[in-house]
Amino acid sequence: MNEERMRDLERKSRAAFDESVGSMDAATRSRLARARAAALGELRGRRRIWRSPWLPAGVAAAVALASALLLVGDDAAQPESRLALVALEDLDIVAGGEDLAMFAEDEEFYAWAAGEIDDGVG
Amino acid sequence: MSRSVTLSAPLPHVDLGDRAREAIVDRERSLERFLAGIERRALRIAQMLLRDHAEAEDAVQDAMIRLVRRYGGHPEQQWQPLFYRILRNRIFDAQRKRRVLGVLQAWRNDAAADGTAPDPVESAVDPAGTPEQALEGGQLLARIEQVLAGLSSRQREAFLLRNFEGMDVAGTAIAMGCSEGSVKTHYHRAVQALQKALGEWNS
Repeated sequence: MNEERMRDLERKSRAAFDESVGSMDAATRSRLARARAAALGELRGRRRIWRSPWLPAGVAAAVALASALLLVGDDAAQPESRLALVALEDLDIVAGGEDLAMFAEDEEFYAWAAGEIDDGVG
Repeated sequence: MSRSVTLSAPLPHVDLGDRAREAIVDRERSLERFLAGIERRALRIAQMLLRDHAEAEDAVQDAMIRLVRRYGGHPEQQWQPLFYRILRNRIFDAQRKRRVLGVLQAWRNDAAADGTAPDPVESAVDPAGTPEQALEGGQLLARIEQVLAGLSSRQREAFLLRNFEGMDVAGTAIAMGCSEGSVKTHYHRAVQALQKALGEWNS
């Protein structure tokens, strides 16, 4: 295939696509903005955890649990990241009110949040 | 000893709660920027794959929620391929659901026994006939949609993600769940097919 013609096709088709995106009607754009706000609401819900008055007790409990697991657990079989998740999950239970089923989907988030705390201390 | 001096020095106050809150607020802003930047293009791509406006909007909204819920803590550079991976799965779910509903409807009409239930994707209204496509660009895009509809789903996705969304080969491979070599092959074949079908626009 002629490379030049291929590039021309890519450029023209992309321009047509960009034009269709740019001309999206206001009602659709508004619905997208609402969908975005709803998605971000997931994160705002989590932020409330950090405002909880139970947070200090939760942190203490989480640290105690993590320490106990480190001392008595099978370290070779248990990656460190998993331990951090266990500790943070425990913190969340103490902070209260969340559906336990959500933990399965939140591992990455809590691992990231734990990393942010570590960065602040280290 | 320097060690004892260090240990006896007052420790700086670190409010872990505040720091975590700030990190989450920063991440929320980053996610908002990312979603605002991707949502319209994602919707158009979902429309092209599903050929149904309402279903496409549902798919994009679900993908946004799942990205925030499951991958909001991932590095930002991973969000785009992860978002499209989620969207792709969501679109496949919608297409599967359609096929099941189509079969059920066919059974209801006593027409399923010979497997002649119409494919809802194939029988969708030709987008070339809508008023918004009066301009040349719109006509070209409508023709591209027609041609893409006749390609394999892999070729279609490779073209939409690489050319329309501007993703690199590695990101497209993550989004499509295949190797980078496969992405290159599918993309090249899609472009070849479009080149052949759209010769009049590309001469």
